[in-house]
Amino acid sequence: MKFVSIITKSFKEQIRNYWVLLLTLSMGPFFLFIYDLMTESSPQQYKICVVNTDRGITVEDSFVNYGSDFQFFFKQKGNSMAAVTFSVCTAAGKEQGIEMVRNNKADILIIIDRLFSQTIEKKLANDHTNLPQVEFIGDLTSQKYLISAVWINEMINEYISKVTGSKRVVEVKETPLGESGAIGEFDLLVPGILIISLIMLMFTASIAFVSEVENKTIIRLKLSKLPPLAYFGGISVVQLLIGVLAVLLTLFTAILLGFGYSGSLPVMVLVAVLTSMSMIAFSLVVAAITKSANEVLVVGCFPMFLFMFFSGAAFPMHSNTLFTIAGYPITFQGLMSPSHAISALNKTLIMNMKVSDIMPEIISIIVLSIIYFGVGALIFKRRHLRTL
Amino acid sequence: MVKTNVPQIVAIQIHNLTRRFGELTAVNGLSLEIYRNEIFGLLGPNGAGKTTTINMICGLLPVSEGKITFPGNVRKDRRSFIGYCPQENIYYPKLTCLEQLLFMGQMYDQPFQLLKKRAFKLLHLLGLDDKTNVMAGNLSGGMKRRLNICLALIHDPEIVILDEPEAGLDPQSRMLVRDYIRSCKKEKTVILTTHNMDEADRITDRLAIIDHGKLLLLDTPQNLKKTMGEGDILEMLTEDVSESVLNDFIEKMKLFPIQLTRNGNILLFTHTDMINRVVEIKKLAEESGLKIEELKFRENTLEDVFIHLTGRSLRQ
Repeated sequence: MKFVSIITKSFKEQIRNYWVLLLTLSMGPFFLFIYDLMTESSPQQYKICVVNTDRGITVEDSFVNYGSDFQFFFKQKGNSMAAVTFSVCTAAGKEQGIEMVRNNKADILIIIDRLFSQTIEKKLANDHTNLPQVEFIGDLTSQKYLISAVWINEMINEYISKVTGSKRVVEVKETPLGESGAIGEFDLLVPGILIISLIMLMFTASIAFVSEVENKTIIRLKLSKLPPLAYFGGISVVQLLIGVLAVLLTLFTAILLGFGYSGSLPVMVLVAVLTSMSMIAFSLVVAAITKSANEVLVVGCFPMFLFMFFSGAAFPMHSNTLFTIAGYPITFQGLMSPSHAISALNKTLIMNMKVSDIMPEIISIIVLSIIYFGVGALIFKRRHLRTL
Repeated sequence: MVKTNVPQIVAIQIHNLTRRFGELTAVNGLSLEIYRNEIFGLLGPNGAGKTTTINMICGLLPVSEGKITFPGNVRKDRRSFIGYCPQENIYYPKLTCLEQLLFMGQMYDQPFQLLKKRAFKLLHLLGLDDKTNVMAGNLSGGMKRRLNICLALIHDPEIVILDEPEAGLDPQSRMLVRDYIRSCKKEKTVILTTHNMDEADRITDRLAIIDHGKLLLLDTPQNLKKTMGEGDILEMLTEDVSESVLNDFIEKMKLFPIQLTRNGNILLFTHTDMINRVVEIKKLAEESGLKIEELKFRENTLEDVFIHLTGRSLRQ
């Protein structure tokens, strides 16, 4: 009865504090709009700029330019690849090509050496003193550069084998998992933003818990025989509803903006519910160490930035493995439940994996939620709910 | 322990109650008994230890030493039979008056239908009928105070503790609250803290004057006023003069059988035949070089009692 009363009261207060609610619910969709404006929603495409300086060579009265031939081969091959899409353009010279890479008009610049044809011809005549030269220029920290370089290297080897008739040592084949081969940059960001919409729940939940302390109504609750668990539980149920609503609104917005998920919606909702619970549990820790909504907004920023920028929600993160449990790596960022949630959503929505495949993530979220809740409830009870 | 002559059933027994906050002793060996169906007042200046005592009675603060017992009550958990209206207005700003009364009642496991009736009754008795469905945050200060009292009473407690119940109330609201507190006496034990002597004088059956956490005096307001002596009081307001002039006059007055209390530049003279002493006092004052600004007769008040006990005004 008390539990239900707390839910009803908390629900009414939350609805009447509609500005906070509106901001929490709109955060995810708003981020998606921003990201959609910033990124391309079409499948990932790698832009290659080619500068062919190959002088060519005259063989038996006919002029041959292997550089131009390679460009043709490259365009044909690029179009036939299922996993990776290339768009090829040419530049008049090295300077112009570098300028295109600097301006993000190309991900990589390939310069075909002026003696490219000559060295291939020598190779055909069994003269292996010089090798055909190709130079790659680009931002070595860029993921797009790295992927392009790997594939161009593979295609150059294939071309040289073809024209020289030499045997290829290895043939690389790429198979994309789930929808990963066909999705755009925007699609890659959606799981993270779904989790960001839940991270924002930390503020509404903390404020809901701490408002009783700020208004001093906690004194009345202490004087009534309200069990702390009914208090925590009642508020949590309302926040959980807000969390699920926030994530569904964000997903709906993502779909409207062209996000094509391949996994199961119920599994996604399960991950959202668990992550919401974990965020609510963490909110209890924030509420326990604060006394007012203002303090929540100041103190809460610290974990919010941690969760947003170091859990992989805003952009992919890598962390060293501290130890492994049953083969599942535990990293520093693994101490933050959103990192497991993002991993689970990536597996579900992008790689089309089943619930059984995300069990380690589910268990991690549950364990962390229990730890957060335990710590939060203990401190909150000691600081704000202590009676004789 | 201070005793009265009227035999009563003890509702709350406080023995050697002490509460320390670090170096500060807020309540220092307080011992008293509060009887069932009486309106008991705790009078004292700010920081006297009234609220600390109340918080210990309610169970919000642990005691450092001493004991609080409820002899007339068999229930173990005091929270079920105590209703507390704190000094500050504590309410849910985003809930209507009715919603929060129902909510608080449910926190005390009260049956919903009974609760609804009680809520409407309380709102009516405290003049909030037309504010039933108004959000508490939109009420005026006086209305919030009355809602605060309703919240303390929604679970129909046997002991009601009201911390400064008339603070911030307009005269009409004050009368309403006063009448309601008086009506509570039939069924409940009421403890109220105040530094408003008029409030204490008018509504309490017995009054404990405390300061620095110690009990100074405990009796009915009438008996307390009698401690100042029978007869009238002559209140003399003097112009600002040097301390030596005042002290010289006070020394001279010691030769007369008149009780004299000083509160700043106000001198209070108490005597059974004060009217015949006025000329004498006035003459002596003039001889001492004391300039009299105002001279008036009045009856004893609780403030006189307090000044007599502590040597300072309650409002300081």
